[in-house]
Amino acid sequence: MPKLKLELQVNGRKVSREAEPHQRLLDFLRDDLNLTGTKEGCGAGECGTCSVFVDGKLVKSCLMPVAKAAGTSVQTIEGLAAPGDLTPVQKAFHKTGASQCGYCIPGMVMAATSALRENPNAGIEEIKERLGGNICRCTGYTKIFEAVEMARDVIAGEMPAAVLEEDAVGESFIGANVRRLDAPSKVSGRLKYAADMKMPDMLQMQVLRSPHAHARIMSIDTSAAEAMDGVACVITSADVPGKDGFGVFVHDQPTMATGKVRYVGEAVAAVAAEDLLIARRAVAAIKVEYEPLPGIFFAEDARKPGAPVLHDYAPDNLVKHIPIRKGNVEAGFAQADIILEDDFSTQQVEHGYLEPEAGIAYVDADDVVVVISPSQNISHHRHMLAEIIDKPINKVRFIMSPVGGGFGGKEDMIYQGMLAICAMKTHRPVQLNFTREESIIASAKRHPSKVHYKLGLKKDGRITAIEFSMLSDGGAYGMSSEGVMRKAAILSCGPYEVDNLKIDTVAVYTNNTPSGAFRTFGGMQAQFATESMMDMAAEALGMDPFAIRRVNMMKVGSRTHTQQELTTASLDRVLDAAEKASRWESGPPTVRGPARKDMNGPDTRKPCTLGARFETATPGPTEAEKVA
Amino acid sequence: MLTCDTYHMPASLTEALSLWATAPEGSRLVSGGTDILPWAREGRAGDVHLPELIDVTRIPELSGHTIANRRVYLGANTVYQDFLTNPELRKALPCMPYCAIWFADDQIREQATLAGNLVNASPVADGTPAVVALNGEIELARLDNGKVVRRILPVIEFIEGPGKTKIAPHEIVTSVILDAADGYGGSFQKVGLRRSLVISVACCAALVRTDPAGRVFESVRLALGGVGPRPIRLTQVEAALVGQKVSRAVIKDIATQAADAVASRSRQDYRRDVVVNFVRAALEEALANQPGGTVNFQDGEELAHA
Amino acid sequence: MMERKLRGRGIAASWYGIARTATIDRAGAWAEIDDGGTGKIVTGVTEIGEGILTVLAQIAAEEMGIRPEDVTIGDNDTARAPEAAHAGATRQTYMIGNSVALASREARSALFAELADHWGVAVDTLKAFNGEVWAVETNQRVSMKDAVKICKARGVVPVGSASFTAHGTGLDPVDGSGAPWQAYVFGTQVAEVEVDTYTGEVQVLGIWAVHDVGRAINPRGVEGQIEGGVVQGLGQALMEDYQTVDGHTTTHGFAKYILPTSLDIPQINCTIVEDPDPLSPLRAKGIGEPALVPTAPAIMNAIYDAIGVRIKSLPATPEKILQALRERHAANQREIA
Repeated sequence: MPKLKLELQVNGRKVSREAEPHQRLLDFLRDDLNLTGTKEGCGAGECGTCSVFVDGKLVKSCLMPVAKAAGTSVQTIEGLAAPGDLTPVQKAFHKTGASQCGYCIPGMVMAATSALRENPNAGIEEIKERLGGNICRCTGYTKIFEAVEMARDVIAGEMPAAVLEEDAVGESFIGANVRRLDAPSKVSGRLKYAADMKMPDMLQMQVLRSPHAHARIMSIDTSAAEAMDGVACVITSADVPGKDGFGVFVHDQPTMATGKVRYVGEAVAAVAAEDLLIARRAVAAIKVEYEPLPGIFFAEDARKPGAPVLHDYAPDNLVKHIPIRKGNVEAGFAQADIILEDDFSTQQVEHGYLEPEAGIAYVDADDVVVVISPSQNISHHRHMLAEIIDKPINKVRFIMSPVGGGFGGKEDMIYQGMLAICAMKTHRPVQLNFTREESIIASAKRHPSKVHYKLGLKKDGRITAIEFSMLSDGGAYGMSSEGVMRKAAILSCGPYEVDNLKIDTVAVYTNNTPSGAFRTFGGMQAQFATESMMDMAAEALGMDPFAIRRVNMMKVGSRTHTQQELTTASLDRVLDAAEKASRWESGPPTVRGPARKDMNGPDTRKPCTLGARFETATPGPTEAEKVA
Repeated sequence: MLTCDTYHMPASLTEALSLWATAPEGSRLVSGGTDILPWAREGRAGDVHLPELIDVTRIPELSGHTIANRRVYLGANTVYQDFLTNPELRKALPCMPYCAIWFADDQIREQATLAGNLVNASPVADGTPAVVALNGEIELARLDNGKVVRRILPVIEFIEGPGKTKIAPHEIVTSVILDAADGYGGSFQKVGLRRSLVISVACCAALVRTDPAGRVFESVRLALGGVGPRPIRLTQVEAALVGQKVSRAVIKDIATQAADAVASRSRQDYRRDVVVNFVRAALEEALANQPGGTVNFQDGEELAHA
Repeated sequence: MMERKLRGRGIAASWYGIARTATIDRAGAWAEIDDGGTGKIVTGVTEIGEGILTVLAQIAAEEMGIRPEDVTIGDNDTARAPEAAHAGATRQTYMIGNSVALASREARSALFAELADHWGVAVDTLKAFNGEVWAVETNQRVSMKDAVKICKARGVVPVGSASFTAHGTGLDPVDGSGAPWQAYVFGTQVAEVEVDTYTGEVQVLGIWAVHDVGRAINPRGVEGQIEGGVVQGLGQALMEDYQTVDGHTTTHGFAKYILPTSLDIPQINCTIVEDPDPLSPLRAKGIGEPALVPTAPAIMNAIYDAIGVRIKSLPATPEKILQALRERHAANQREIA
């Protein structure tokens, strides 16, 4: 394979290197030039974290074969400002709080810089359009827009540069908008996440994942993979030294599949090799014989008689059932003037953190097994790993690398065990970087839900009884299902004082992608149903939606659904503030949209129609005129 | 992951054609790279190893554009962003800016070529209906006894089905040729699950020209994408509109006729409903975008006579 | 005949519990007031973008009497930091914030004890803020840098440590009774949407989000969490859908799994309510997860207000909305007939 000879300029420096013909510009920048500020969030041109300037045009470097960069001038995030300095755009991102986890931020700063270079007078609609190719999962974009507009105004001299500095201190640091400590390292692209880290002698690991949803593993032949040049080790479940099993609540998940696979994407084996390409080819050379088994793909089927048993310890495929009972629902419904009954469902949701899972493991000079990863719970991971690799707990060390988004998706220890075992076998550092596709199929999702809801109320809006039942597909492994069912049950019937309740939440095992921890842990699925029902009740009773909630709201002294007495409660203040802030026009929710007068206010945005830049259609600035 | 033995960047058309003619089986041409790299990933083609990749984007003859004889000759390396930034192209191709602004995002528009998009022939490609509405043709070149020979096909024939075109072995696209439609109002409608960087569920390109008083349709072009395996040019609907009064009632009626042209394998009802509404919106917006004149909807008169 | 674009508004209320559910929760922290009048905090803090590092720096700075930029927070490393457990359950400001506050107080107490003795004043006359220490109603005032020198010259390193506990109880296995959290928060969101009846597309034009956070340590940070939560809620409401067929996903990448971009987001108007927590030193509660709870139902209620169709199955895709409109139209026709 003849190498490419490349001559180009990167951040003002002449670069003359050889590259593999298949490398993308992204790989060349990150691996060969150690410019790791540019990220691979998805590798398919969808997320924008790989954005760089090539000959002045912003492009997605994950879609650019490196040969195309020959003879060009490339500018990356590292090249925007002089070392130790920050551009106005970068400073504005720092000032407004536009940087949260930081993983999208280099790409976003590049897009913002490009926007202002192309049109120094860009208005908010054009700014939004020019950022449309960059995804952020943490910030909701709002403070990013604020930063771009602030930078625009500072550069144009409409606002003084001092606005980019820290606000003057008041009487206290509590309640102050102190700028984020970690923002400078993020807006400059200097912060190293796990995938950016390099250690001498480091191996690359890749994982063989199950193509079947449910199958017995008849045999695994790793001989061809092991024999390949550059392969340092190949591991399977047989290589786990200690007591296998991990999980947030129940330790039902093996480090690698043992005896059978339970979902598509489950780890079956892993290879550590000199480079990524060899590792991937070695993984493809592992031969696994599977005997497919009948699978369960709908939560409703999991507990039917005769359903396949997915975990021996749970013959009815039940992960967890949480019941809550209060008062007497039959009596409650008997007292009701109206009863509404309906069904709701929510889907499995992907966390979509911009940083795909990644990590490094090594064994240090004191024989401590060290794992560096963006784990959301290193305390618990250390506990579990110590048992899995049969080491005393103080001989296992977890270091949290900067997390490029979590939301609950990085609580599960789905790859750290394999890294540790490869490190122990080779006594070399081993790195694994998930692809986006791998992250999507292997990691947990938000629990889907099917809720059946029965709500009884008096004419004055007071709830007399609620019957709430929720069924969730927990997927192949327990993960956080127990906790999610518990939280969903406790919060289900909303912030309302209800005397008669019957609540049941159930999570079952299936052969689908596992469901696990994800921001609100069941709270939003349950309350989606409740808040929909409340509006339906308001319509039926001719009541304003705020009014019906006030009639029922929890107050100081109320007993919650689990019969806890509240010593504080603020829903009254919150409802009042929401009604006021939104200038809510009272009335029952009887499809008043066409008639109401409280809409289209200055606190709403214009609908997006695309084409904002057509309005300011003048030729763009020359290179010399570009401002950002 | 995409790997290859050799990555070529030929500096002339002859060199490219020569490499392409002798490249081993499995080799591919690379234009912007924005289709092939996402394709070689898990969930789609997986890891792909190809012997040779031949990149056509450094061939000078494939760059730039000329306008002559009421036709716009776009070099095959024309990227989508050019339709937004080049004033000549914006004027001559009135529906293309609206199509381009819906196409992916600024970064990908700098990389993705119109020609590459057409050859990829995705049934949901945004560029295709716009090109078809502009009577698009595609010019292909190959070597015949060492000499470059060319042929031209209408794009609507060139695209045979999803991923299938009439491009012959050893051929390279050299040019896309479109009507210069100065004076028309253009528009583009697209439905997707969100506003940016999204695959179309369905899309529609329209060009409209009225009489100077803005009361009568003089010329109409309408094309649909995403509602079938191939782009659809609504020639009957176009013909029915010529000479008709500009009115919302006429537009609504004609749009309902357009729905009959829908033949899609999936999500039939939704696409059908969307098409009717699209065509209405497309015509109304194209009228509004017509440069220069005012447009006079005649519904007021008609209602008075009802 | 229906207008093409119809608008509507809807609301949803919500509640949430702070820290780990139905169990006792704990977090430990170490603090030191250091040379130069700076501060060191070491705790198992898991910054995942929510801004906890900055919040802890503000808390430590306030308690120690120094500036947030003078605070260094140690890495989250099981071999170097005391356990503060995980990022989740909207627990870090509450559990770790309070633990850091108490540890910082202890370090400051050690420093104050030495300084008070050195100056010959009562320890409760000492105040520290923004890098200076002084004794009220005297002219004794030094920089924190000098205060540390004084303390260390007397042989004392001003360190502190603390463990903070949240007393959740388990739930009864039969009736679920119990006290799963010691702190609760409440929220409400109002949504304004525009529905395109030609295509079924929904754009959310405004969200008014009101959330009780107990006490906002960094209000801009709280807003950032609300804005991020709202957009995640919007994504689930309208466009995100992880799908599998027989266990195999059909949404393998971001081309098929649709996340909200800059063009999809509403103007988000945040109002922070402070109902202080009586059981903790800082009085703060939390916002990370609560921010996301009411968004989807508020949007669905707004869609109903606009076009009279209620979507009960998320996401409310354009297809589902057009289908629902078609069915409603057909039902109306049957009524008329």
